Amino acid sequence: MDEAVIVGADIVAGHDGSAELVVRLLHPDGSEHPVLLDEDTGLKLMEACGASSLEDLYGQSWRLIMPQG
Amino acid sequence: MFDVIVKDGLVVDGSGAPGFRGDVAIKDGRIAAVGKVDGEARTVVDAAGRVVAPGFIDPHTHFDVQLLWDGAAKPALEHGITCVVPGNCSLSLAPLKASDRRAVVGMFQQIEEMPPEAFTTAFEWTWEDFAGYRAAIEKNLSINVAPLVGHSVIRLWVMGPASQERAATPEEIAAMQDLLRQCLDAGAVGLSTSFVDLDEHGRPVPSRFAQFEELDALAAVLGEYGRMLQVVPEFYATDITIARIDQLAELSLKHNIPTTFSPLFDTLAVPDNAERAIARVEEQFARGARVWPQMQTRPIDISFSLLRPSLFFARLPRWVRILRQPLEQRLAALRDPETVEKMIADCGPDGGEAMMGRLVARGGDACPADLAGKTLSEIAKARGQVPARALIDLSLENGLDVAFLSASQGHQSTDRIGPMLANPLVHIGASDGGAHLASFSTYGDTGYLFSEFVRKAGAMSLEKAVAKITGETADIWGLKDRGRLRPGLAADVVVFDADTIDRCEEEPAFDMPGDGMRYVRAARGIDTVLVNGEVAYRSGAYTDSRSGVVCV
Amino acid sequence: MTLSRQRRFVTPGPDETVEQLAARALPDEPLESAVDRIKSWNLHVFAMRRPPGLMLGSDVIFVEPPIGHG
Repeated sequence: MDEAVIVGADIVAGHDGSAELVVRLLHPDGSEHPVLLDEDTGLKLMEACGASSLEDLYGQSWRLIMPQG
Repeated sequence: MFDVIVKDGLVVDGSGAPGFRGDVAIKDGRIAAVGKVDGEARTVVDAAGRVVAPGFIDPHTHFDVQLLWDGAAKPALEHGITCVVPGNCSLSLAPLKASDRRAVVGMFQQIEEMPPEAFTTAFEWTWEDFAGYRAAIEKNLSINVAPLVGHSVIRLWVMGPASQERAATPEEIAAMQDLLRQCLDAGAVGLSTSFVDLDEHGRPVPSRFAQFEELDALAAVLGEYGRMLQVVPEFYATDITIARIDQLAELSLKHNIPTTFSPLFDTLAVPDNAERAIARVEEQFARGARVWPQMQTRPIDISFSLLRPSLFFARLPRWVRILRQPLEQRLAALRDPETVEKMIADCGPDGGEAMMGRLVARGGDACPADLAGKTLSEIAKARGQVPARALIDLSLENGLDVAFLSASQGHQSTDRIGPMLANPLVHIGASDGGAHLASFSTYGDTGYLFSEFVRKAGAMSLEKAVAKITGETADIWGLKDRGRLRPGLAADVVVFDADTIDRCEEEPAFDMPGDGMRYVRAARGIDTVLVNGEVAYRSGAYTDSRSGVVCV
Repeated sequence: MTLSRQRRFVTPGPDETVEQLAARALPDEPLESAVDRIKSWNLHVFAMRRPPGLMLGSDVIFVEPPIGHG
């Protein structure tokens, strides 16, 4: 693995009542950290990954979280 | 002759000491005696079987606008709150030039979700400076107000539109310092800033364009007055929260000021989030810094409608795909029997009973009144449908504008949160009262503290819970005249039933200007609330008292 | 009282670009790779900010990956 990948994903309640996405990123050095994505970014990530479930995000590159296009 | 004697209650004085049976006598708006009081009074409040405590203090609210037409910050006062802190998250209504009002209204609407009429018909803009705003609200207060001044509006005043474009020059920073001094002289209890908020165009609010040097310069002014710096940090991002704690600690130590960040949430998705943040707070306090994390008591709910896609359906890819389509195609898909069959099948053999049955239809939007508050399971049974189909049909019948609530989806674990709330370094607050009006109720967190964490979980004693939201809060904020039942202090008093105090169910209310809707919760178990010695609320009704003040 | 070690961060200077910040924070690394690493460690800024790439003076920008805890 030479770049950070998603190793976990979960829905959390945002402070404003929206549903948000927390993904866990695993970096090449073995460290992990959570990243909170707002609803729009989370939905776009699922689309970019062609994800049909949260588990489908696992193993996807961090680059797919970045704005596309 | 006293003005008031609150007689024969369990006196819980806000210090954390064990309660004792006694009286509280009041004269000229101040507490005159506590204990066994002899003598007469014009008004006697019978508190037998009830707790007599200092009025509660809510340190994180957005009542800035509402206070201009509702001096009780309803329903805060009926929950026993006698002092609110508005002006959080970098936004206050002063200082504000007339030419900048539109920009700030947009920012407030983004946070508070208030109807436009709240800003156009409900009050007259008579002020630009902080003293003017103070005078505008002071005319009509029945609750006390300890207002923060917002960094974003200070920046906007000095820099105009450039406040959302660039760093400030040294001259501009000096001007901001002068302006902050004026606000503190006029009664502000501190400065608020934000690292997360957006305006109505999705642009970061002005405070976010500040270099740390600017915040440091403003904190230096706070140091001259010993006043509070409040920040709103990034959510669920532990490393960032810790970085913010370290920044605040640096400012606290350098300028000898208290600081607070709010909110701090617990979440099972990032289970060590709050724990690590609190550990860092403990380390910084051990160095002498004052960095108070504010934690709310209530869980967070998720609400959504089919008007737009929601990650609530993240485990149902077909639903996400369909709801992401433009409205016409979305409606066509939801009306297509074959598609709907597949959507229902996706929800499992029980038709979504396990996945969606506990969703609650919310009133306040297009939801039929007779269904508001019912679970989707109940609605589905009455319709002879499975929950997934009921959700789709009910939405279609009402222009998709039916909101559903999934309760307690975050910050919901009483077992985990109770010990954190009891931690001496955790500040109970972050209610957000007066914000997110159309999304959920931000009232009743104090009642929930007693019902959930004192009575149900036993996470802390009654006395500790009272101290947390009275004496300790007053100490943290430097409100020297509040927070305890002690002779000489202001007579803010709440009389409540320890066995029943609670928040009621959330319900829509159409009491905003322009018949705007908001979600509220009524109080349970609160008998009487006195503000500066006058009865402001009693037996379920507000009085005509206007004894609230801007307090420092 | 010694503070436990936490993840190192910087805040962007006025008008600083991500390239400039990456060069400042990771001077020994090729620029392209340094920018890549800075972005991957700071998705809270680079994934959701509008317009994309905008850095603010108040941002926390981590200059190393997460460190172990526990």
